[in-house]
Amino acid sequence: MAFRGFGGIATSGLIAAAILWSFATTDVEFSRLLSAGPRIADFFGRMFPPDPTVMAEIKKGSAETLRIAILGTLGAVILSVPLGILASETMVSPAVFRPIRTLLAFIRAIPLILVAMLMVGAVGLGPLPGIIAVAFHATGMLAKFYAEAIDGVSRAPIAALESAGAGPLVRLRYAIWPQMAPVVARDTIFRFELNLRESLILGIVGAGGIGFYIQTYVRSFQYDKAASVTIAVVVMVIAIEAINVALRRRFT
Amino acid sequence: MSTAVEVDDLRFAHTGADFPALERVSFRVSAGESVALLGPSGAGKTTLLALLDGRLQGWSGRVSVLGAPLDPDRPPPSARRPDTGFVFQEFALVERSSVLRNVLNGRLGRMSPLRALLGSPTKHDLEIARTALADCGIADLAERRVDSLSGGQRQRVAIARCLAQEPRLILADEPVSNLDPAHACEILALLTGAARTRGATALFSSHQPDLARRFAQRIIGMRDGRIVFDVPTSELNDDATAELYREVGPIPGIGLRAVS
Repeated sequence: MAFRGFGGIATSGLIAAAILWSFATTDVEFSRLLSAGPRIADFFGRMFPPDPTVMAEIKKGSAETLRIAILGTLGAVILSVPLGILASETMVSPAVFRPIRTLLAFIRAIPLILVAMLMVGAVGLGPLPGIIAVAFHATGMLAKFYAEAIDGVSRAPIAALESAGAGPLVRLRYAIWPQMAPVVARDTIFRFELNLRESLILGIVGAGGIGFYIQTYVRSFQYDKAASVTIAVVVMVIAIEAINVALRRRFT
Repeated sequence: MSTAVEVDDLRFAHTGADFPALERVSFRVSAGESVALLGPSGAGKTTLLALLDGRLQGWSGRVSVLGAPLDPDRPPPSARRPDTGFVFQEFALVERSSVLRNVLNGRLGRMSPLRALLGSPTKHDLEIARTALADCGIADLAERRVDSLSGGQRQRVAIARCLAQEPRLILADEPVSNLDPAHACEILALLTGAARTRGATALFSSHQPDLARRFAQRIIGMRDGRIVFDVPTSELNDDATAELYREVGPIPGIGLRAVS
């Protein structure tokens, strides 16, 4: 896409101004960047070799992260089913789906880490605030996806069931659900993957999971241990993505 | 002979359309008759059939289906809907469900709402579904998924679903326009034959005069939302048909109709 005419010049000018403003008001000093090289090298030096003695912590942490992701996704699914129906054009009137969609947009706008911090304050440390935060945060996206899945189905079979005398819930069950099921499966798996990735860092704010160990080891300058945990996290993310890709291929 | 459909001075316009989709439409269909609605695309056939099926509101005039008047502003009570069966041009099947499941869907209006929701058809429901499948010549396809079927097979499933409803009136909107000529004849023979053996009334639309002549006792010609002629099939002459299709130019307001 090319920018043309006055609109194009104005847009280019705006982008340039934004970049210049950011440089001018942020503390970007090249001398600091240059001196960072040796320090980063030092970090990597201290991370090497990774300390394999933290295997037990890695296992415990990743298991907890996995549990947070599973229960968080479950909570999001439970919340998203009614909210998804209420956010769909097919099932309800604009007076209902418009406010629900706005609510979901608000939920999506709140970063997970912020929800997690609030939840740690509300229910204390551990995986529970993490689960609640993930469930809440994920609902913003999942309910929207479910609504889109409902609205994306072919209308003709719905009309056919209406013509046969089936009520709205029966139509949902036999005309809409069979059509949307693969989409729901795909969306839920995708959201689970995101939940797992995002909950890896929840431990940093005390909301449980493997992130707790990264934070602990970095703060206590045990970079070799932090390196081991980081490697474990990277392996987990890659594994989840591989499993997810394989699973999603089955739902097309 | 009792009346299956009675329409008097019907007028209907889609929301936002400049021209009515149906205007001054009056006709009646006797119980047990087989009648074809003939006319070019945009004549109002689909609109008329959907309206008789109780799926359109906001019309004016008087419409009575199977002895009960339709409310211009409200869909008919669900208890009455199974009496009117509908066969759609694009089959309107649930592609990922089995043939039997789709046919059982035609029973949903006959079951109690709870039974329908739980999806536990009675022996009676299953028997009716199996009979409908057999009558449509697709008993062996019962367990197949619809998305693995051909167009002709799909329309047979759609007709079986309609028959499973045990309708007294069968409305069919261009039921064969997506099929090749050989299949088109088979399907129309099946549809009108099944209606006859069940003592049901059949009202189907078509834009092919030869098919209408072959399978209907009476032909109602429509153009631009109005009835142009209404004659027994034996009296239909080629001039009247030609007049129906005369200069099918751009129809004003068609874009608005497409949007609505």
